[in-house]
Amino acid sequence: MSKGFASNRLSLLAIGVIACFVSVGVRLVFLHVVDRDELLRFVDKARRQIVVEQARRGTILDTRGNLLATSRSEITVAVDPWSLQEYLEIEKNPSKRARKSAAEKIKRGQLAALLDLPVADVEQAFVPMMRPIDPLKAQRDGKVDGVTKDRWVKLREALPESVYDKIEALAVRGITHNRVYRRVYPGDGLAAHLIGYLNKEGTPVSGAEHHFNLYLKGQDGWIESEKDGARRELAQFRSREVPVANGNDVVLTIDSVVQHIIEEELKTIAAQFQPHFATIIASDPMTGAILGLANYPSFDLNHYSKAPLEAQRNYAITDLIEPGSTFKIVAAGAALNEGLVTARTTFDCSNATIDYKGRTLKLPREDELFGRLSVADIVAHSSNRGAAQLAMLMGEQRFYDYVRAYGFGEATGLGLGGEVRGQLASPAKWDGLTITRMPMGHAVAATPLQIHMAMSAVANGGVLLRPQIIKEIKDPKGNIVRTFTAEKRGQVLKPSTAAQLAQLLTGVVREGTAKGFDIPGFEIAGKTGTTQKIIGGKYSTKHHVASFVGFFPASRPEIVLSVIVDDAVVAGGTAYGRVVAAPAFHHIAEQLIQYLDIKPGLPTNRTFLAAQGGFP
Amino acid sequence: MKPPPAPGLINRSIVLTLLLLIFWGSVGLGAVWARQGISQAANRNRALVSKLADIDRRLDEVNAQVATAVNPDTLLHQNQVMRLTLASPREVQVVRVTESPELRLAQKRNSEIFNLTAATFNTGQAPAFRGLTAALR
Repeated sequence: MSKGFASNRLSLLAIGVIACFVSVGVRLVFLHVVDRDELLRFVDKARRQIVVEQARRGTILDTRGNLLATSRSEITVAVDPWSLQEYLEIEKNPSKRARKSAAEKIKRGQLAALLDLPVADVEQAFVPMMRPIDPLKAQRDGKVDGVTKDRWVKLREALPESVYDKIEALAVRGITHNRVYRRVYPGDGLAAHLIGYLNKEGTPVSGAEHHFNLYLKGQDGWIESEKDGARRELAQFRSREVPVANGNDVVLTIDSVVQHIIEEELKTIAAQFQPHFATIIASDPMTGAILGLANYPSFDLNHYSKAPLEAQRNYAITDLIEPGSTFKIVAAGAALNEGLVTARTTFDCSNATIDYKGRTLKLPREDELFGRLSVADIVAHSSNRGAAQLAMLMGEQRFYDYVRAYGFGEATGLGLGGEVRGQLASPAKWDGLTITRMPMGHAVAATPLQIHMAMSAVANGGVLLRPQIIKEIKDPKGNIVRTFTAEKRGQVLKPSTAAQLAQLLTGVVREGTAKGFDIPGFEIAGKTGTTQKIIGGKYSTKHHVASFVGFFPASRPEIVLSVIVDDAVVAGGTAYGRVVAAPAFHHIAEQLIQYLDIKPGLPTNRTFLAAQGGFP
Repeated sequence: MKPPPAPGLINRSIVLTLLLLIFWGSVGLGAVWARQGISQAANRNRALVSKLADIDRRLDEVNAQVATAVNPDTLLHQNQVMRLTLASPREVQVVRVTESPELRLAQKRNSEIFNLTAATFNTGQAPAFRGLTAALR
């Protein structure tokens, strides 16, 4: 072999190697420079993915930690029929393919049983179909024919995890799923108007769900990473990650048992009197914390879509009524507070007219004839004329100021949405008779909650509080992040006046309009109300709002309770507060005394063998 | 004409090249091994996170079921179905104890012992063992 030949061979080899390197370099230039944008788009589309991790919505709890609203995962099961077909087509051996197909068919039968669907429906879902698609997007599968493979045929929605576990264990080829969180309300209709609900789109619609959404909703997280050919995430290629922040838990002030007690009582009222609506509110007078608030009609939160809008109204804050005689606490409290009268000061309540500021005014009618009544009797027997004279002693402006101070004419600030302010005209807009009618709860409109909070002010020593529905916020680990305390809106009465008025209100059940509804030892203080409704611009003699608003024990109040029933039907009689509302108040009070372990204000004089230290 | 390169220099070059190849090969293999390790750890981590999320989901499910089972309506229904006749007490059934319950119980127990001793003294018989222990309990 000559030396020249060897040299040529080496040169050829070198040229070949260089050519290879050059071609690789050229290809790299094309890949990284010329086609870079297009290839990156393709890779991004094929491999890059952003996975959104949904935040879990916080729960709503009652004051004792019972679940009122929570989120539960539910599975939507669907079929990708093409996946099954592709799986079978891979197998080239006809007998093996037939065996695989038969095995899958058996599994589909079991699947149908788990889904509670006819086998034929399930089999139909596994038939590969095409679906129409926007022609501009049709190139997804490489063809521009206006159709694409239908890879999502829904079988069942809202499956619980336990059922899906069984489906997953079957390993049916082509089954796919989607997991969603759905809001569930374990108490069904319990505290429906307070809790509110989320609609199907997950948007909070009403109640605490809506008002405290900021605390509850949390913050979705997301992960930017890559996926493999089977669409599984390649966790090692995660480039950015924003962690999910689950929602906080909201603890309400309501007590499930108290709420249940008042809702049961509402059912009894509804069955007995068929009212237009009824509301019962129970709260702690010292903090304004609402322990229970219920309306009739109500609805089931888990089936909100079937409930009429009427049933979804929180009448306690959205509807106005004339307070009626329960409003007499304003005139009595104001006159006592100003030192214009004492409990023993008497007024002539027999006259139908009275001279006031140079005019003769017609006084309102009484339900029964009275003579001279003391302030204590005016409160106990609910004298309209007596209340009018108390207000006249005050004068329009001063009386109006007290009405405002009690919280009428402005929203209580419960904050659940839809609350109205009520109607209270300034003295400049009053007609000549308003000073005689407003003290008996006419010519003024208030929500049941406003009336309740006014009575609460009498119970707690004269302080008007903001009703409190939220107790605290907890983070997902259960740590308290914010606590809500009592919020004072103003001082209505001096503490001594409030205590005196509380004692006067015990006369209502002892000897007054609600006589017989006392609970021995527990000093029930309250006020009945029977308001004629305005129908067609006139006060009706057939339609009334019956109410009983009170608290107990009067000497150290622990519960304020309001029962307000609109348009109750009483066979052969008038829907007086003492007939419709007072019995319900009494019944609820008896139960709350036991449940909340309320001690009697006065010692009871009962003697039992057991009380003497022995057993029979 | 130049003399051919010394065999020692060629040999050293070859050895150096081989060493470089081994070194960079090892680095490459190490990098692949590390990436594989990272990938496995990331996937294990992802599986654990997904398992935790799954446990949380199931916990929520159980909590919701428990809450449904203990809601007052359900319990009342169970009370009826199981004929337990449970009811909340009424005030007339309640005896309010204002003094110390320990003293009351001691008083009750002592009075029982005294009664028993007095009965024994009157009859002149030793108290039955069972009776004494019952009283002292």
